[in-house]
Amino acid sequence: MMGYRAFLLTVFTLLILVALRFITEAEPIGFITPQFVTFVMFYVALGLAFNIFIGMTGYVDFGYVAFMALGSYAMASAINRASSLSLPGYGAIILGLVETIVLTFILALIVGGIALRLRGAYFAIATISVNEGLRFLVDGLDIWGGSAGIYVSGPLIRLVGHEAYSFIALIVSDLLLYATAFIALIITFVYLNSRIGYALKAIREDEDAAKVMGVNTTFYKVLAFSTSGILGGLIGASWALKLAAVYPPEAFNIFYTVEAIVIVMLGGAGTFLGPIVGGAVYGGLKYVLSGYIPGYQLLIFAPILIAIIVMVPQGVIGFLRERSERLREFIA
Amino acid sequence: MGSVLGLGAVGLSLIFGVLRVVNLAHGAFLMLGMYITYWLFVLYGLNPAISLIPSFIVGLLIGAIVYQTIISRIMYGPELSTLVAGVGLMILLEEAAKVMWEPTYRGFIYDIGTVYVGGIGLPLSKVASALLSLLLVAVFFIVLYKTKLGTAVRALMQDPEGAALCGINVRLMYALMFSLGVSLALMSGSLIALHQQQGINPYVGHSYLLIAFVIVVLGGLGSLHGAYVGGILVGVIISLSTLVFTFFGVPQPMILAHFIAFLLILIILLLRPQGLFGGK
Repeated sequence: MMGYRAFLLTVFTLLILVALRFITEAEPIGFITPQFVTFVMFYVALGLAFNIFIGMTGYVDFGYVAFMALGSYAMASAINRASSLSLPGYGAIILGLVETIVLTFILALIVGGIALRLRGAYFAIATISVNEGLRFLVDGLDIWGGSAGIYVSGPLIRLVGHEAYSFIALIVSDLLLYATAFIALIITFVYLNSRIGYALKAIREDEDAAKVMGVNTTFYKVLAFSTSGILGGLIGASWALKLAAVYPPEAFNIFYTVEAIVIVMLGGAGTFLGPIVGGAVYGGLKYVLSGYIPGYQLLIFAPILIAIIVMVPQGVIGFLRERSERLREFIA
Repeated sequence: MGSVLGLGAVGLSLIFGVLRVVNLAHGAFLMLGMYITYWLFVLYGLNPAISLIPSFIVGLLIGAIVYQTIISRIMYGPELSTLVAGVGLMILLEEAAKVMWEPTYRGFIYDIGTVYVGGIGLPLSKVASALLSLLLVAVFFIVLYKTKLGTAVRALMQDPEGAALCGINVRLMYALMFSLGVSLALMSGSLIALHQQQGINPYVGHSYLLIAFVIVVLGGLGSLHGAYVGGILVGVIISLSTLVFTFFGVPQPMILAHFIAFLLILIILLLRPQGLFGGK
């Protein structure tokens, strides 16, 4: 089994995070509150889900947030529909998750089928344009409430009542998020230890050579792309449960894609621990900085980001891996 | 409008064509140019056409600094590095602008009269900016095709190693061309400021970055005259489709017109990835 030590270490780290979430529920430890843990977890999950595509194939998807947005919208619209028909509340959430999976899969097939024929800069530009195009489409044709957006918390409260709402917005949404992170991690492990992992690695190193060797490159690329996309959709869907409303400029904000890239770069692309380290460092710093110096956190972030890219382009974990033979086994 | 957009796209295309770097901070550079025009006009009443000169100089300086500190260190690394560094730079510039100049929209009106062409009223400031950008692009192409410097640039675009063998100082040329690309972006921003109806704010560059991508893809990545013609085409396409959508009573014609522009990118990337004017 490849990288099983690293995998176990990562699972262990994730479990600690989950435990922290519930321990701090009763009493916060320092600045660590359940909100803080979930905030960090959001970025960890994002990193893990994004890593499946970017880390394994080396393609940069600049339209990743489109999947998250689609997930948020699917969840929001399922809740709204259930609310107007007064269906059971939890059924709506499950329906929202199913819709998320179906919609993001369809989007991934379409975008993947078209854009994945392109490489490098061309692919990056194509995915940016898909993201912006979708946003303008939702906005311009008044789909899902157009530019006004679509409410979540209001209909959800009407559907299940105040008490159950706060349970859903705090506990259920957190659990869904954590579950998504675990699923992403397990899928990474399974992929790495199967044919799929070899195929993707071959594509990352030399796509033409992989093709010549008989690897169905398109199939594996679309597979990784849609897996990563569906998981992104699930993150968006579970996060939507916490929101008051979903609307285009926020849901399609390209900044989330950038954050996902930063997390993967920070930790080290294509590693297990990378997204966790990246997500924790990024999410933690962002949370703390926005608490102490609100409004300036991005100004401080940007130079740090540039410095990391210039000095350790392979990421923290990648850097450690190169440095130490012994560490390599644990952090593969 | 298209001509002014084209000027900026030439800058983006120059950087990609010579350095093979997609400069994601392009929109932020446009924004800087807009602010230069705005402040010089508001504080000193300077003619926006004259503010092209400070834009040019500031662009060269910033470009040189950015090239030396960031780009030169990572441009041979994986593509991802330069893309992310560009985003970092974009955030840095935007946030710095936000802290210095506040995130509110600022606007000014530079009214020098209106001309009538075939019964349609055009503000003279827009006509003048279009002509100015045409002039600047013309100067750029004369330099590119008629001087030794331009020959060196074109050689570099075709084959960096071959160019180095012929005694061209590749690193110096890279630095120069990056700075020039940034300068073109700032100058284009200076002129776009005249078209910006709702005013400018630190994040105004986003939409122009994306439009610049559409233009550059349309014209062919790295093709310089393609970028300029692409700019004019995209300007026309957006205006025309806005008209058509208004005619059919679509809720938000302006926004849907932008959707068409992005649809165009996908179609072109699929059918003719080298763009309308790209050689190969």
